[in-house]
Amino acid sequence: MIDVATLLFLLFATPVACSLPIAFAWVYRPGADWARKLPILSVFGLFVSLCIAIYILLYFPDGVFEYPWLPDYNINFVFVFDYLSKYMGALTAFIAFLIGVYGLEYMKHDYRLGWYWFFFNMFTASMLLVVYSDNLLMLLIGWEGLGLASWGLIGHWFRDDDELAYVGVIGRKVGPLKMFWSPSFGGWRAISTIRFGDMPMFFAIAAIYALTGTLNISEIDWGHLFHHIGLVGTLILMIAFLMGPFTKSAQLPFSEWLMTAMTGPTTVSALLHSATMVAAGTYLFMRLSLYIEPWKLHHTPGVEQLYFFVLFLGLISALYGASVALGCRERKVLLAASTMSSLGLMFACAAASFWLGKIAIYVAFWYLITHAFAKATLFLVAGHLIHATHDRFCCGNLELAKKMKVAFLATIFATLCLSGIPPFTAYWVKSAMDYVMHHLMHEVGGAPLYLLIAVSVIYSAFLAKFLSLNFIKGDKPKHLHLHGEILMPLAYAVMVSMLALLLYAILTGREVEELVRNGLEMFVEKGFEKTSLAVGLAVLISYAITLAIPKLESPIGRFLGDRMYMPALNDYIVPKIGWAIAKAVDWCNKVIDVFCHQAIPELISTYSLGVRAIQSGSLRRYVKIALGFVMVALIFASLVGW
Amino acid sequence: MNAVVFALLIPLIITFIAPFFSPKRATIVSFLAFIVPFFVTLWALLTGYEFELPLMNLGKPIGEFYLFADPISNAFGATICLISAMVALYSLPYMKHRFEEMRDEIDDVTREFRKYFFLYNLYAVSMLWLVYSGNLILLYIFLEISLLASFLLIYKYGYGNRQWVALLYFVWTHIAGVLTLIGFLMVAFENSTLALKGITTVSFLAWLLIFLGMIVKLPGLGPHIWLPWAHAEAPTPVSALLSPLTVGLAGYVLLRVYMVSPWFINEFRDIIIAYGIITSLYAGFSVFRQTDYKRLLAYSTVSQMGYMLIALCLGSYGLLGVIIQYVSHAFGKSILFMTAGGIIALYHGLRDVNKMGGLHEYIPTISNAALIGFMNLSGILAIGMFGEFFILKGIVDVYGLNLKLIVAVVAVFIISGWYSFYTLRKIFYGTPKDMERPKVSRFLDTPLYVIGIISIVFIFPPLATLFLKSLKLCVLGGVMP
Repeated sequence: MIDVATLLFLLFATPVACSLPIAFAWVYRPGADWARKLPILSVFGLFVSLCIAIYILLYFPDGVFEYPWLPDYNINFVFVFDYLSKYMGALTAFIAFLIGVYGLEYMKHDYRLGWYWFFFNMFTASMLLVVYSDNLLMLLIGWEGLGLASWGLIGHWFRDDDELAYVGVIGRKVGPLKMFWSPSFGGWRAISTIRFGDMPMFFAIAAIYALTGTLNISEIDWGHLFHHIGLVGTLILMIAFLMGPFTKSAQLPFSEWLMTAMTGPTTVSALLHSATMVAAGTYLFMRLSLYIEPWKLHHTPGVEQLYFFVLFLGLISALYGASVALGCRERKVLLAASTMSSLGLMFACAAASFWLGKIAIYVAFWYLITHAFAKATLFLVAGHLIHATHDRFCCGNLELAKKMKVAFLATIFATLCLSGIPPFTAYWVKSAMDYVMHHLMHEVGGAPLYLLIAVSVIYSAFLAKFLSLNFIKGDKPKHLHLHGEILMPLAYAVMVSMLALLLYAILTGREVEELVRNGLEMFVEKGFEKTSLAVGLAVLISYAITLAIPKLESPIGRFLGDRMYMPALNDYIVPKIGWAIAKAVDWCNKVIDVFCHQAIPELISTYSLGVRAIQSGSLRRYVKIALGFVMVALIFASLVGW
Repeated sequence: MNAVVFALLIPLIITFIAPFFSPKRATIVSFLAFIVPFFVTLWALLTGYEFELPLMNLGKPIGEFYLFADPISNAFGATICLISAMVALYSLPYMKHRFEEMRDEIDDVTREFRKYFFLYNLYAVSMLWLVYSGNLILLYIFLEISLLASFLLIYKYGYGNRQWVALLYFVWTHIAGVLTLIGFLMVAFENSTLALKGITTVSFLAWLLIFLGMIVKLPGLGPHIWLPWAHAEAPTPVSALLSPLTVGLAGYVLLRVYMVSPWFINEFRDIIIAYGIITSLYAGFSVFRQTDYKRLLAYSTVSQMGYMLIALCLGSYGLLGVIIQYVSHAFGKSILFMTAGGIIALYHGLRDVNKMGGLHEYIPTISNAALIGFMNLSGILAIGMFGEFFILKGIVDVYGLNLKLIVAVVAVFIISGWYSFYTLRKIFYGTPKDMERPKVSRFLDTPLYVIGIISIVFIFPPLATLFLKSLKLCVLGGVMP
């Protein structure tokens, strides 16, 4: 029997270690035949992680496990095993493994396998670290690993020479804005945005340590901390902290990086930019809320304002994301915008825990799980479609659907499940969400509920649009090459079947002890309430209409498709300011340089020349100078009246 | 005598022996001369080993000359040894290329290598001994030796208008040196000794002079203008010592004086921290406009040295920040200067960032090393993370939740990350230019990875545990936070 420490070490180390052979092989022998077989080893590493994660899920008791790191500072590797982390860990490892299998085929002919697999596996390890960690500094290591892996994988096709790897129509400009983005640019934008959030978060972590002397989320006395630092302090601290999750989960106004992150390989979009990494932000917020227990802190200054802020930020981001997805024609960008929308809903729902208690967090978490499987399926299908049609934009008709039956069926099932059409998976979760938002009627007003309904309706519309434009009513693809893929359909078929499993779990929820304990048997109950049924009906109608009329040319559509010109913030306003400062600074440098290295030496040499001119050796001159000094002295003496 | 002293003697002796070997052997010997003391000092650092070795007593007002080690000296010493050892290996292919370029001016390459290795080892060893000297005059002497050696290296093997640049470097660092020396002498007359253990008070004027001198050397905003010249035009192995090791030693001197008499920094804390932040931000923004890769790195050094000034103002945890920041910057910047040198050596003096782009295609090993280097600078998954952590904690300890200060320091960290990844993209990613894939000598990339791996290993146990434990015992006296 191996001990817990070894097991956890293997959980994180195996994927990384297993990806090293290919990473090194690719440096020294890029593209060699034997090197192309090494990815199997990487996937094996992911498989080991998956086994351990499942073992943890099934057999580990709830609690924490501690391993010394910096014991002198009371900072240690602390792993937490609870409902949230166990399921999230298993989910991450499972999806990572499945997408790893898909990637074996998808990335088969790639020119940079070493880089890809190293960062892919490093990402998985980092994500698991984030999921299981209770210590904030240890979490930060994983968190930085996520950012780095995301940068590496988005910019994977760094040569910028493949049209398929771009986002936007190449060459298109709107005013001064270039509306297309290359992979290397996508990577830089991702890391720069994430950095903007990570550093405030890092500060907040250090501040929590300075103020409480511990970094373990479960140990910190949050209520006491908030009381201690007061309203302004709480808001500074927590907003600084949440800057990390907000940027990572692409909430407004940090959403642009997620859209241009679609320049990465589709496997990356599926794993990082929909199912797991971007969800890490919301996950962290849920984890924090679970221990902050805001529902007990109604009289603590700052907490209500904070949760109110997160609630509306989430809802507005959700609405923005859904609207953008509605106007989008690019397969992956559409899905990215919808991901952002879902993340907004998760934030909002988890934020409702202030008024509603723990249950809101669990509902948000269930939505996270449902969304992860469904969105990963859709991304994997999109990747397969891009592979087959060589087109980033939605295209395909029933003929294509016949050729790609598995993809077609998977898309139908995933869209039905995700949009919240009764009686499919997300319907029950969304019903619970409706209930949560409905509950806020008294304290916050009707806005959250109405926003949620609006988002749900738009959401189902663009999912239907995705289905229709790719398989039913889209244009005939210009090229169509199917290469007899096996692993790819297999991967998304398994992925989509997980939604059925979830549905089963929800419907039989009364018998599952774990669900009942967390109050989740209410999914079915809430699903039969009148409001939920009405929302479900609205969603169904919007789904059906869009399925029939997927395309509608209009200026509003274009405005939405151009992401309401949010790129202007990242591509125009911020760089303009930055470059203006850089120019000013550069000019200052030049002035100082000229002053120190030319003016002063010049001055001294002029002075030296002058002084040397005096020493001519002629007596007359010396006498003149001496007399001159005497006269000056006399004038001076007479002036001061001496 | 103990192991550390023996270890310190090795490079000193080798300095005078290495010139007698052939270039290749001299490289290996110099490498060994520094890697052995690296392991010894690292061991001393991790075990918290301390010693004091009296050398001689010069009477009033100079006081006792002695060598001493505590975890602070060992942290600086181990860093200096590691970087010097790795750069020594790197020197061989690089200087071969440099001598090739300079073939009109030199007649015998082997002879030049002799001179080079003598100066190089002298330079490195003087910095190493500096951090172990227990008397401010002794420290000053080593400071001067290191300046002379580096001056000569720039003068003889630098780029561009190298004599002019060398003189410029000489004048500036001597302004720094003289100011500091006067400060030291004032301390001597006040305390009748310059032995660190004997100094009790440092008066305002003495502190001011030492501080100003070290600000010129560090450098802070204003005097910083010498640094891009010197660091960009020095031969790259020398840049790879100048920038990571030498300038940071100004921080070491300030740290030592602070530990003897902290009142000056505490009194003028607000001004100094503001100055540090402005320096850092200013230099960070300067990086974006640089077209010369080495000059770009030089500005980033200025920005990173701003961190040290900031950290110095932040109480005991800030001091931890100073030390870790020195180590992490040294690791990162030496890697980066070596990548710059690699590109120079492989592409016939290519330094213009605008002519690069997509270089990852041709020199993936150097590109990946640069990634690790920039990770160190921005504190991502490398030892710099702890440095930033302690600086941020220090802010809350000293200033509480002061919004303006928080925003400023966070902005400093953000800018570092931004210019790091901006530069990476500009140089290594994007559509590759029409170039050839060169054959990279293993000495041009392996040393970079050794430093890189150590910088990453340092965030995990057991290294992190032991390292921070001994630093804590030394700086905070072992009190629980």
